[in-house]
Amino acid sequence: MIVNPLRDPRDRRLPRVPDPCALVVFGITGDLARKKLLPAVYDLANRGLLPTNFALLGFARRDWGDQDFAELAREAARKAARTPWREEVWERLAGSVRFVQGAFDDDDAFDELAAALGDLESSHGIGGNAAFYLSIPPAMFPVVLKQMERTGMAESTAERWRRVVVEKPFGTDLASSRELNELVDSVFSADDVFRIDHYLGKETVQNLMALRFANTLFEPIWNGHHVDSVQITMAEDVGIGGRAGFYEKTGAARDVLQNHLLQLLALTAMEEPVEFSAEEIRTEKLKVLRAISLPDDMATAAIRGQYEPGWLAGQRAHGYRQEEGVDAASTTETYAAVRLGVETRRWAGVPFYLRTGKRLPRRVTEIALVFKRAPHLPFADTDTEELGNNQLVVRVQPDEGVTLKFGSKVPGSVMEVRDVSMDFLYGEQFTEASPEAYERLLLDVLLGDATLFPRNAEVEASWAVIDPLEEFWAGSRPHPYRAGEWGPRAADEMLAADGRRWRRP
Amino acid sequence: MTTLWDTTGSAVVKELAAQRRTGGAVLSGVALTLVVVADESRVAEAEEAATAAAAQHPCRILVVVRRQIDAPVPRLDAEVLIGGRLGPGEAVVMRMYGRLALHAESVVLPLLAADAPVVTWWHAPAPERLQTDALAVIADRRITDSSIAEDHVTALRTRAEDYSPGDTDLAWTRTTPWRAALTSTLDAVSGRRGDAVRLLGGRVEGDPGNASARLLAGWLSSRCGCGLDVVEGPRRPGPSGVDAVVLQLDQDEEVAVRADRRGGAVLTQPYRPDATVALPDRPLGDLLGEELRRLDPDEPYAEALEEATGVRGLSNRAAVREHVWLDPARPDGNGDRDDDAEEPSSPAAPVA
Repeated sequence: MIVNPLRDPRDRRLPRVPDPCALVVFGITGDLARKKLLPAVYDLANRGLLPTNFALLGFARRDWGDQDFAELAREAARKAARTPWREEVWERLAGSVRFVQGAFDDDDAFDELAAALGDLESSHGIGGNAAFYLSIPPAMFPVVLKQMERTGMAESTAERWRRVVVEKPFGTDLASSRELNELVDSVFSADDVFRIDHYLGKETVQNLMALRFANTLFEPIWNGHHVDSVQITMAEDVGIGGRAGFYEKTGAARDVLQNHLLQLLALTAMEEPVEFSAEEIRTEKLKVLRAISLPDDMATAAIRGQYEPGWLAGQRAHGYRQEEGVDAASTTETYAAVRLGVETRRWAGVPFYLRTGKRLPRRVTEIALVFKRAPHLPFADTDTEELGNNQLVVRVQPDEGVTLKFGSKVPGSVMEVRDVSMDFLYGEQFTEASPEAYERLLLDVLLGDATLFPRNAEVEASWAVIDPLEEFWAGSRPHPYRAGEWGPRAADEMLAADGRRWRRP
Repeated sequence: MTTLWDTTGSAVVKELAAQRRTGGAVLSGVALTLVVVADESRVAEAEEAATAAAAQHPCRILVVVRRQIDAPVPRLDAEVLIGGRLGPGEAVVMRMYGRLALHAESVVLPLLAADAPVVTWWHAPAPERLQTDALAVIADRRITDSSIAEDHVTALRTRAEDYSPGDTDLAWTRTTPWRAALTSTLDAVSGRRGDAVRLLGGRVEGDPGNASARLLAGWLSSRCGCGLDVVEGPRRPGPSGVDAVVLQLDQDEEVAVRADRRGGAVLTQPYRPDATVALPDRPLGDLLGEELRRLDPDEPYAEALEEATGVRGLSNRAAVREHVWLDPARPDGNGDRDDDAEEPSSPAAPVA
């Protein structure tokens, strides 16, 4: 049955636009909301991707009127928007912005919020649909969710949908994430819960699936017969900023390894999904996450580190223990590297080296497939001394693109082979026009498309990988490394013991 | 940037290669070649648009300006730019004088990116029959702009009669925001009803002489199976040629989208308060960028063009064009063999 005669599957120019709805943001005055969410909402409006009947509702403790809030939102959106600023677009958006003031444990405030949603129904025609964005510390989740349950805001019915967006961290270990999942799922139905991992909204990550499953070139060698090892790196040059309180309790493994790196691993290692749909992709990712094996020799294959004072990019950098708000004897790791296995026919025997750290020389995220060396080289030994392993590198950020590294003859009268790289660069120039990760993910939430969101089983499977590591590390002291170098020596030794070395990204 | 005066095609190819070597890897990976055919008076505009579009789609830009076809001596001037005025990629701006202008493809062919699709865009009045321009024959996708013509309606008819799958028109691209707004309005209606919507009729208020207004009406007609017309509205429309669209739905309902003259439109629908959406007049570069997103035949355009002009059977036409030699300097259109002994005579053209 044709529901809308103007919709035509062949007509790819018309954007997917969500149903009329409201976006409710808890913690609208927070950092994330100001730097990412509000600009993303503006960009969506500017691109004409918001529904015709749309409202934005902010909820926070601050004592503000709609006007004050609109002003803050305008500033925030203007500062960080990626699309050109058009005052008229904002004015239209500002007409549908509301603010509700209150504490999360304040029954009256939530009654007011529920009433405001009702009002928006008549004033903006949002059709009862709403997405709740929990941009708040996880500790507040129970209170907020209970309030939503009490006021009946969380119920999806046949006439309307209600969705909730949860930011990482999704718990701090398997038990707490289960608890959190149960809590969220008891208030919202599982299909209405969207867990944001903003890495999955990045263009390159989506391109990884196109690269693998749209081409014939890569898939035949995408397995243990040809791949020697896989290195997944997410390096940051910044320290912990002002987030000492959060970071002290979390550490690099929980902050990055558990979500971003394991999701990248899953996308790299997964089998081809039966179709490109949320359910099928999640099924394949879950299979990989469940097949992950931990190293037997954790002492040498699970390394964590902590940065000490050093020099980075020409500036003196504090050590982690000297950062404000950090315990002078802290054992929280700022670097984690681990060797994992994926126990499937495709990947058995191929080590997956994952590493993440702060205060490393540069900000870079990449997935590198290191291939086996040719079984036989018909050249003289001296000819191929400089030849390394072939590599296929997916650069997630910055300089989004793909690099292929292979051997080539050095021009000249003697036969000499050395590594060269071939670059495909979706440079800044080209990604400027592509939506920012949050923009894409926010749109998907409003559309109800869960392809790029991990589901709770994935989160739990990830914690099942992290928990034993944390247990092993508990009470030990992280290896020190100087700010501005590529991690502790122990991490280099971990690869050296396997006869490999880290790629310098 | 290098400018080559009175040069040859092979010198341009060499210069491009030389600049690529010395300029470093400004850009790697090219998705397509964009050939821009522009009048001298519109070159700056065309360059700006091509640069903006190239920022979304890595491409090689070849701008062809044909001048003074009656000049006695053929001549080629070329500007080779990498990572310069025309964006991060490779670009060549060529001015062709004399008989060379009729053989622009001889310069363009060796400059096309290897095995990548070719898109030709006329930012000039397009030839009546595209196949008389060899730059159309080598293209996988051809972009014209009926809004450039004095008489939009005749221009649209010409495009319909000449249509081949793979043709498209910027007058059609200009309707996208309107079409998106109308579609999402009907989405909202069907969402509220929880049931299908039927479109019974309606009207486009605007300038009946505007190509975009005609195509919008044509599209609506093709989608509802009923005839919609462009009627002169109470207000003069903006540059898009459309001021408002009113649609009659089943269950005796009506929806309307009206431009608010401030880069937006007001949506009116039953049982819901009015809403406004962004509906800006987009710069040429945005339009071109949208065209370059997909290079396969645009069936909805063919159907809209059929309805707008009454010319039928567009989607059944062959997608490949055969070059037809046409000499504008001759009244009968055929090249004189004495003058131009090397001219090919295509089988489609009668041999004198």
